[in-house]
Amino acid sequence: MIAPIFGLLCGVFIGVASGAVIPYGYSGYVAMAILACLDSVLGGIYAILQKQFDLKVFASGFFCNGILAVGLVWLGNQLNMNLSIAAVVVFGSRIFNNFSQIRRFLLNKTEKKIIVFTEKEE
Amino acid sequence: MRKNYHFMALTLICVFLGVIIGVQYNTVKKQNSLTENQRLTELTATLKKVQEENKALQAHLEEKEKIIKDYESGLNYGATIGNLQNEVQQLRLFSGLTEVEGAGIVVTMNDSSTKKGGDSNAYLVHAEDILSVLNELNVAGAEAVSINGQRIVGISSVSCAGSIVMVNGERVAAPFEILAVGDGDIMQSALRFPGGVVDNLAPWGIEITIRKEARVVVPPYTQSVLWKAPVSDQEVVG
Repeated sequence: MIAPIFGLLCGVFIGVASGAVIPYGYSGYVAMAILACLDSVLGGIYAILQKQFDLKVFASGFFCNGILAVGLVWLGNQLNMNLSIAAVVVFGSRIFNNFSQIRRFLLNKTEKKIIVFTEKEE
Repeated sequence: MRKNYHFMALTLICVFLGVIIGVQYNTVKKQNSLTENQRLTELTATLKKVQEENKALQAHLEEKEKIIKDYESGLNYGATIGNLQNEVQQLRLFSGLTEVEGAGIVVTMNDSSTKKGGDSNAYLVHAEDILSVLNELNVAGAEAVSINGQRIVGISSVSCAGSIVMVNGERVAAPFEILAVGDGDIMQSALRFPGGVVDNLAPWGIEITIRKEARVVVPPYTQSVLWKAPVSDQEVVG
């Protein structure tokens, strides 16, 4: 569980240290892509915990969600309509959902452990 | 083993996500420090305009520098003389010593023909009325103005002399015909705008007609002028 978090921190460090800048006008798309990817990562963690992880589903979801979100925002810009709100709402709520599922799962697991532990003691 | 494999994929993706987040962080930080994003298009337009202006001025400067070079070198005699002649021509134009021809307007002012009683003086065209028309014409960008054949230049005067008006020291009587070369539409509207010169004179029945013409010929300034010797910069400093 440490490796992904460490990887994330490493990535942030590399990104900041590289000093690379996205041209003005594209940063909105990138922000949306970040949100979509964050959702995918949380979904992936949940799947691993549930032991339902499928790399194909995970990888395709990661990239396709990102592309779809960016595409939606782009379409919204073309139609002078703020479609990014739709993407933000959907991905935001999914992130909260995934996170709460992970939390519940972890809480249940620790609870079971405690029960097992106490049973053994008895 | 399989779980490790999953974690590796997740880690890779996380690294990727981290990199985008980092780059985006850089971008946002830089944009905030640079300028307000909303004004970017506006600033771009301004920059473009200023650049074009700069280019035009640069071309102007180059042209002037070339003329100065021609003067200084003295080698190109023909060009120097040509330049001087051009300059003289331009100065004559500025000082009103040449006839000016072009599109413009003709304003005629005549004393009122209907006397409604009261002070009969009020129904005549006065020097002040002519001056206000003249002023409006100049405001509206008139290039050359004459009143009954008297060209208006820098030292011109319009004054009242009893029952007549003196322009450039010459006696001039009604009807007054004011010729002006320039943008006819602008000058016409400058005279006619509500509360303007024409409106002010209307109650007194003073007859003003304004005619736009494609070709107006304004005569040159003909009075003799005794120019004093100009004071050069050095003398002023000394």
